[in-house]
Amino acid sequence: MPLPSDYPEFLASDHLSGRTRDILVTRLEDDRLQAPRVLSPKAFAVLEAILPVLLPQEDILGNSPLNLAVRIDTALAGPRDGWRFAELPPDVTAWEQALLTLDDLAQAQHSMPFPALNASEIGQTLDELAEGRHGINAANRLTPEQMQKWSFDLRADAIECFLADARVQDALGISANLNGGDGVFQGFQTVDANERESFEPSPKFPSAKPRDKTFP
Amino acid sequence: MKTYAETEILDVIVIGSGAGGAPLAARLAQAGKSVLVLEAGPSFSPSRYTSDEIEAREIYWLHERLSGGRNPQPFGGNNSGTGVGGSLLHYGAFLPRPHAGDFRLHTETGRSVDWPFSYEELLPYIEEVEAFIGVSGPSNYPWDPTRRYAYAPPPANPAAMKMREACDAVGIRHADGPTALITRDFNQPHFGTRKACANCGACHQGCRNGAKSGADNTWLPLAVAHGAEIRSGCHVHTIETNQAGRVTGVVYTRNGENVRQRCERLVLSAGAVETARLLLHNELANSSGQVGENYMTHISTQIWGEIDEEVRPNRGYPSLTITEDMMRPKDADFAGGYLIQSLGMMPITWASNIARGSKRRGADLVRTLAGYNRSIGMGIHGDCMPSPENRVVLSDEKDALGLPKPLITHSYGPNELAMHAHASRLLTRMWEAIGAKDLRLLDRAAHMMGTARMGTESGSAVVTPYGQSFDIDNLWISDHSTFPSATAANPALTIMALSLRTADAMLKN
Repeated sequence: MPLPSDYPEFLASDHLSGRTRDILVTRLEDDRLQAPRVLSPKAFAVLEAILPVLLPQEDILGNSPLNLAVRIDTALAGPRDGWRFAELPPDVTAWEQALLTLDDLAQAQHSMPFPALNASEIGQTLDELAEGRHGINAANRLTPEQMQKWSFDLRADAIECFLADARVQDALGISANLNGGDGVFQGFQTVDANERESFEPSPKFPSAKPRDKTFP
Repeated sequence: MKTYAETEILDVIVIGSGAGGAPLAARLAQAGKSVLVLEAGPSFSPSRYTSDEIEAREIYWLHERLSGGRNPQPFGGNNSGTGVGGSLLHYGAFLPRPHAGDFRLHTETGRSVDWPFSYEELLPYIEEVEAFIGVSGPSNYPWDPTRRYAYAPPPANPAAMKMREACDAVGIRHADGPTALITRDFNQPHFGTRKACANCGACHQGCRNGAKSGADNTWLPLAVAHGAEIRSGCHVHTIETNQAGRVTGVVYTRNGENVRQRCERLVLSAGAVETARLLLHNELANSSGQVGENYMTHISTQIWGEIDEEVRPNRGYPSLTITEDMMRPKDADFAGGYLIQSLGMMPITWASNIARGSKRRGADLVRTLAGYNRSIGMGIHGDCMPSPENRVVLSDEKDALGLPKPLITHSYGPNELAMHAHASRLLTRMWEAIGAKDLRLLDRAAHMMGTARMGTESGSAVVTPYGQSFDIDNLWISDHSTFPSATAANPALTIMALSLRTADAMLKN
């Protein structure tokens, strides 16, 4: 079945295995789920507010960004990666409590819900999280030390969901999934620098391109 | 494949089908023993492995672990595996030999511990493993000119080339590292055709053409050819003993049903976390109090930087260039040493490391991600000492099978911190020397060892130097749990060599 014309061209390559193609195509449609599966509406709203400041997508995907909050919520609903910080509760609980902690702190410090904060205030919150300076000592909320650990999970999950998307891979010119098809397992004929094979996507985002002007 | 009835009493049951269990299973089956290997994970079809790093987690051990201490270790990828073949399904196949000095570090420095035997005693087994599974390497290995590898190295990717330049710039030697993959087609006895490495770069997501030398395409087919059964989807939770305290069999869960299988001898090859967890949960073999103790990792500091070339770090064997010149650096303020390897990496693994290792956000983070195709890395594996601070214990939380989840505590001591600092300075100097920009150091640990150490005295060790429990004479351990110290080498080769050695001891016993 032909792929929709707005799908990345590399999805039609015979250097991509059928299973990997199916995975990537299915994922492209993940955003259609609009309602969170595991997070409460309040926690989800905080996540929706924080992600564009952590990982702005416009430069890479233009006017059609991924719904990263939905993807993270979906990932939280599925199998996880086999470990968690001992100081944190199970992942779904940790995310819910962390996001509600952010909302409580926004109310306490700015007298408004977290989603009403401006980008600068949210950015400052992210910095304070990473430094272990943002949290609450209360039941069902996370301490600054716990919030610091959770902030690493937030960053990792956001980036994983982002880079797992075929449109992002295409925009950045990433060929990692084009490592061999089913009929012929081609691998890569060259691994040399500046030797792009014909089936590999070229980077479309300016800062993903080599800065050396001699390279086409 | 031969199958054994659930009513049969096996000569040997092996729990785990990876580097610890598979060579031993083959050896014992070849000697005519009835051998059953119980593997918790499924049996995968290599052609179905996917480079998609999210779905590829299916070959990682995903039963939740709780990670604590001052250096909590991320599990999932780069640690334990699941499936027939164990962690070798996803290992990076970097196969350096352990350094002879690492077996006698206490004698050498007064710190850490000695192994209860010498490197030279293990060497014949190391050579046997290399010859049987297929290892590529250079024709002249600078740190051991007598060594020979059966296969030529795979092509060097840009990270490997740049590390050569960087080594030259700072005056240290370099070579193509030993890699457990084949670079020409080979008809593996009892398995079939293994194709030459295609430079696809997805070693950690499962090798699709058999080039990578794992257990699934070497030891396990050999074991099966000699009458062993590999039974997948069997998660052992109970070890049964008689009144004399000897093991009589195990109980495992398969498709939700509990199954009992009896045996004359039991071998635990479940890895440094799961082997300890099984023993602790069943309250066995721990008169020394050492089960779960001395958990160790490798200091795995990485550096990443960008160059003005399109390098595509997903292409080619990821980590080809090695230097062993830092195994005993002259200016060291620590005991032991580390080896350095070049690093390419698949994009999500690479980005996750950056996510956990830096505070970048916003446009800065986006620009960093966009630099993937220009990124080159290096990483170290540094020896780690046993410490009473670091251990595996049972947590208060239960998993889906009702077993307590393991809690792993891991903190660097002064020696590990000094080694990390030394490596950080050197890696930075090397990447600066070749003009790499936007350097990022990642403080991370990898691999797992210890928790059931071997030794000569029953009061301070769980097993003998051959892997036999001091407490229960028909219980053996064959995996990295028994390592007294980490050594700097990636553990797979040592685990496989020890596995053959333990099998020989069982046959003599």
